[in-house]
Amino acid sequence: MSQNRREFLKKAGLGALAGLGAAAGLFPAFALEQTDMSNFTDKPVPGKVRWGMLIDTRKCLGNCTECIVRCHHDHNVPDFGKSKNEVKWIWKSGYENAFPTASTQFQNPEVLERQVLTLCNHCAEPPCTKACPTEATFKRWDGIVSIDYHRCIGCRFCMAACPYGSRSFNWLDPRPNIKELSTAYPTRMRGVVEKCNFCSERLVKNELPACVESCPEKALIFGDLNKPDSEIRKLLAANETMQRKPELGTLPSVFYII
Amino acid sequence: MIEKALKGGRGYWAWVAFLLVVIGIGVTAYARQMTIGLGVTGMGRDISWGVYIAQFTFLVGVAASAVMLVLPYYLHNQKAFSKIVIVGEFLAVSAALMCMLFILADMGRPDRVLNVLLYPSPHSMVFWDVMVLNGYLFLNLISGWAVLGAERKGVAPAPWVKALIYLSIPWAFSIHTVTAFLFAGLPGRHLWLTAVLAPRFLASAFAAGTAILILITFILKKVAKFDAGPEARLKLSVLASYAGLANLFFLGTEFFTAFYSNIPAHMHSLQYLFFGLEGHAPLVPWMWFSLITGIISVGVLLSPPLRRKNGALIAACIGLVVSIWIDKGMGLVFGGFVPTPLEAIVDYMPTATEISVTLGIWAIGLLVLTMLLKTAIAVKTQE
Amino acid sequence: MNKFSKFLVALAAGLAVFVAAWFFMQAGHYGSVSAHAENSPVAAAAPAPGGAPIDSSKCILPTEYMRAHHMQVLNKWRHDSVREGNRTYVNPQGEHFDKSLNTCLGCHGSNPMFCFMCHEFANVKPTCWDCHLSPMEVPQ
Repeated sequence: MSQNRREFLKKAGLGALAGLGAAAGLFPAFALEQTDMSNFTDKPVPGKVRWGMLIDTRKCLGNCTECIVRCHHDHNVPDFGKSKNEVKWIWKSGYENAFPTASTQFQNPEVLERQVLTLCNHCAEPPCTKACPTEATFKRWDGIVSIDYHRCIGCRFCMAACPYGSRSFNWLDPRPNIKELSTAYPTRMRGVVEKCNFCSERLVKNELPACVESCPEKALIFGDLNKPDSEIRKLLAANETMQRKPELGTLPSVFYII
Repeated sequence: MIEKALKGGRGYWAWVAFLLVVIGIGVTAYARQMTIGLGVTGMGRDISWGVYIAQFTFLVGVAASAVMLVLPYYLHNQKAFSKIVIVGEFLAVSAALMCMLFILADMGRPDRVLNVLLYPSPHSMVFWDVMVLNGYLFLNLISGWAVLGAERKGVAPAPWVKALIYLSIPWAFSIHTVTAFLFAGLPGRHLWLTAVLAPRFLASAFAAGTAILILITFILKKVAKFDAGPEARLKLSVLASYAGLANLFFLGTEFFTAFYSNIPAHMHSLQYLFFGLEGHAPLVPWMWFSLITGIISVGVLLSPPLRRKNGALIAACIGLVVSIWIDKGMGLVFGGFVPTPLEAIVDYMPTATEISVTLGIWAIGLLVLTMLLKTAIAVKTQE
Repeated sequence: MNKFSKFLVALAAGLAVFVAAWFFMQAGHYGSVSAHAENSPVAAAAPAPGGAPIDSSKCILPTEYMRAHHMQVLNKWRHDSVREGNRTYVNPQGEHFDKSLNTCLGCHGSNPMFCFMCHEFANVKPTCWDCHLSPMEVPQ
């Protein structure tokens, strides 16, 4: 045993004893110093901002995957190469898969063949946060449905509750299955649920989400749904748009121009 | 008192040894799951719950069915049940224990299980389920043990025991109602999104659980020379038959609502389970076997001359348990995920690891039940 | 005296002997600690190849405090920034910091061994690097 280690253990032992003694009121002079939390300040007003996204399916090209590649790289989304264990934040679905209750009879065949970008809807009334037994997934002050990976117990209740299939579970250790580690965002650990976070790590730096930034066709518009003069609100007012499964009352924050 | 479980004949120890071997296999399989991850199971992104949650759902029902003995005995003074009320209570203890082990086996991060208590979330049904299941386990363990202890000393149980027993009656209904609410409150899962799920859970629980109790009385008669008496069995079989009938009725109402309304989303899961959907029909034989066995078993139990014959009664009880185990322990959970929210049809097949863990947990439950019942019978027969 | 009270007395006596023995052991350690106080594990660590020793005097709070409380600070920061969106920490000197592990790694990351040396030494195994990229994984 090295000298340093011995000294450290002695100190640690003394600290534990001092703590015990202080707790018992025996020798207050040895009391452990309290963690000073006095200077941890201000927080944003909940509900003031509601981030939302508008996807123009007319502009989104059928075989382009720029946004998916960029998002999955930036966020260290693992690729297990097997649909059973698949983890995905943003992906393309057929029109009828994305909008299973939308009218399809005698519909324009070009529309029916469209590939629609699907991701977490960041619902205003999220069923997933209600199902979570530890509040590991929760609605943030800015409308983003977030996951605290440190707290998730991996019960997958949110996955059963999400009517959009937006959540993925880490069935295996994700680290060895990430081709190229990105420094933009941490990885996850085995046994927790993950999904799109609307790039909250970029929003805090005043940057647009990675998918929006990477779209060569500018088919994705991102903005504050609570701000009447934002670009997204103007486009929503000027176009016919759809949400996925609006009949469930989840109030998705992702809209689609068909 | 538990020392009485340590005295037994050769058959008893052979059974315990067998269970220990199965537990050993289960623990080994669980160790593999812990090292590699839940990826070793058949569950995946689309079918994200499998046999673990299905067993849990079935066993909550078995736990709740103790009330089928406690309620008639303590509220309606049905003396026929006096010898076997304790069997119901101890069955509830071991079933509730298995439920909790299955939840633990299903968790991605079991190391964080205490987060459920650290960050209590009343909006989550899981939180309530953890509360009521633990409460039910201890209510039955404490009251059963106290009554048994009093019986050993030849005195009346303390007054507080009665209070716990009365509390356990509504509590039994609560555990299965909350378990149904785990499923019935999720939007977009149409097989589960039905108000009749909680009543159906209770009906199937009281049918299967009571049938298991009847089978246990037969086993105890054979291996321990402890006979609950034909009257107790007969009364239980009547309870099981009506509960089974109610279960079939509720299933019928599900079919009517889905197919008469003709709403695709409401039909899809039932189509997948009973007829196959887009060429995927892995559960169809199982579900039909379950349905037909269930109908025949309930028919036998409803017929007074048939249910008086031990052979027919045993066969009908086994049929009813198997039928409900398939319906609830497989179909309900797996079928609820098909089709997926994105209209995909994905099949699920449990892996060997998953089945080993499942058998291991069943063996733990059976070992606990064996030891508890051994103690109870030793006290009752004053060995 | 019945059996149970005898048992309680024996238990209390055993406990008292144990506590007393432990106290004397600890007291003995205390004397030697003061004699080697400057020889603390972090300060005495040899600089890792390629990295200068960290000037901890510029940390958000005094070194001694951080050495004992960095985990509480990180826990609090995590809670504030992830769950409440409160990302700014102001230290007693009025300096502002982003409540992020990256703030810490901004300085300490230049020594890839910074976290590991002490954790290894104390035999603690924090799970930070299960997800966050550790300084050893990030090219300098």
